[in-house]
Amino acid sequence: MIELSHVSKRFGDETAVDDISLRVPKGKFCALVGTSGCGKSTTLRMINRLIEHSEGDIILDGQAIDAYDPVKLRRRIGYVIQHTGLFPHWNVARNIGLVPRLLKWSATDVQSRVAELMHLLGLPVDEFGHKYPHQLSGGQAQRVGVARALAADPDILLMDEPFGALDPITREKLQDELAKLQARLHKTVVFVTHDMDEALKLADHLVVMREGRIVQQGSPLALLQSPADPFVESLLGGLERGLKQAALTRVKDHMTSMGPTLPAQSRIPGTFSLRQALSMMLRDHSDRLTVVDQHDVPVGELSLRRIIKEAQLDNGNPRE
Amino acid sequence: METRVSNSLSAAQTHKKAPQWLWPLLWGALLMMSVFAMSAAESLFRWIEPDARQVIYDRAGFVTLLGRHLFVVGIAAVVTIIVGVAAGIAVTRRWGCDFLPLVAQLASLGQTFPPVAVLALAVPVLGFGTLPIIVALMLYGLLPIVRNTLAGLQGVEGDIKTAAHAMGMKPTQILCQVELPLAAPVILAGIRTSVTINIATAALGATVGASNLGDPIISGIVNGNMAYVVQGALTIALLALTIDSLFEVLQRQLRARISSA
Repeated sequence: MIELSHVSKRFGDETAVDDISLRVPKGKFCALVGTSGCGKSTTLRMINRLIEHSEGDIILDGQAIDAYDPVKLRRRIGYVIQHTGLFPHWNVARNIGLVPRLLKWSATDVQSRVAELMHLLGLPVDEFGHKYPHQLSGGQAQRVGVARALAADPDILLMDEPFGALDPITREKLQDELAKLQARLHKTVVFVTHDMDEALKLADHLVVMREGRIVQQGSPLALLQSPADPFVESLLGGLERGLKQAALTRVKDHMTSMGPTLPAQSRIPGTFSLRQALSMMLRDHSDRLTVVDQHDVPVGELSLRRIIKEAQLDNGNPRE
Repeated sequence: METRVSNSLSAAQTHKKAPQWLWPLLWGALLMMSVFAMSAAESLFRWIEPDARQVIYDRAGFVTLLGRHLFVVGIAAVVTIIVGVAAGIAVTRRWGCDFLPLVAQLASLGQTFPPVAVLALAVPVLGFGTLPIIVALMLYGLLPIVRNTLAGLQGVEGDIKTAAHAMGMKPTQILCQVELPLAAPVILAGIRTSVTINIATAALGATVGASNLGDPIISGIVNGNMAYVVQGALTIALLALTIDSLFEVLQRQLRARISSA
């Protein structure tokens, strides 16, 4: 667990981070979102003491971080940055094995751990182990970056705009993979990004920052439903907000049981989002969808009226 | 996933491996010829100086002169490398960064000071012989090494250093495993410049009684014997070319090993 209470950071007269309090429970994914220069990266770097905080307490697993030896602290916290920071003179396998070697693991342990991680991140050891960072594409290099951060199996993972420099397709792919990885590994993640869609997609807990302060924090759905001010609302996409909210809601949580009428032609898996359901309705000129399970067996139905009604209920202002 | 066509590239590099030793071997062979078989070219030198009593410098063997020359340059190089690299490292650390402008200026000052002037000032203090020329070479050779050490270390990307730090590497580990290996090609280029310049500059030692390959040149000038001058200059030039081409090979190997993009 990571806990920040009334933490501030001043550089000379300038206040980069101003009295922020934040709690990330174990195994949760917390995203810090904001425009550049809002103090989100500084906040992240205070957690592994790359930057020392000026005021307040940062507690890690019940102990203030000032009590840890900084070098030992960093070895138990994974860290991923935008431009990977891979060592260009080391090959992929050596880069990934860095922290285990620093922790003096035996050579065979390091080797098998590296192989395990490369497999986990979809980088075949035979093909990539001996490559150098400049021989990798942006996406491959960032996978290596993530593997290196996970190498010593840290409980905490800090990610500073890890996918910011990637093309949209690669970025989306890596986001999906990170979500899957997190569902398996349950790390405590603090993730910095300026991309609200990325944050909505990955985070359990969303923290919006502006000029060093936390403007609003809560679950993605809670923020979408009631943004605290126009700034948060504009970050959340203004008019697009409705769709973003729909993207976070699953079809199967809102479907109704099958009616007496004939089942609709279009079928949608229950795990899809309401946004995808809306899109399918627009595409198929239909206001009704049949919901199916993973074996393509109909389990319920979803109507346009139902989606709209649910959205109103979620917003807490039913008009019917 | 995209795959890069690096195979053809590395194949081309291995292909180039054979001729990379060509120049050091060639210059080295010519150097050996001039050191061991200068007298074989007597007729050539006779053509330059038809009236001289003697056309091949023989007050000391060229092998001995070469040895002394290498000794002077070598001692100066070892000291400059240690001092220069250490200074460069020290002022790029957080605790030493206050001294960065001072060290950079001192090193530049060393090079703006002509070696002849250093010799003139050093002789009254250190006496005639080898010591003043070593001091002059050290001062003169320091700048390229300090400058390149600074450039090399400052050229290591901030992201790489941040990552090294964040992974829990200690400062000495970052220096030895990350910064120095990445800066090595640039530092080596500085050492190469320094040593090559000093091979030529060391000839001045002959004026203060440090016998080396400068001897035939000085003696030739004093006695009006151009053949001596040519022999000294030729041998020094070949020595400089040999050492310089060796550095070239070393640099290329280092670059291939580090293979940074």
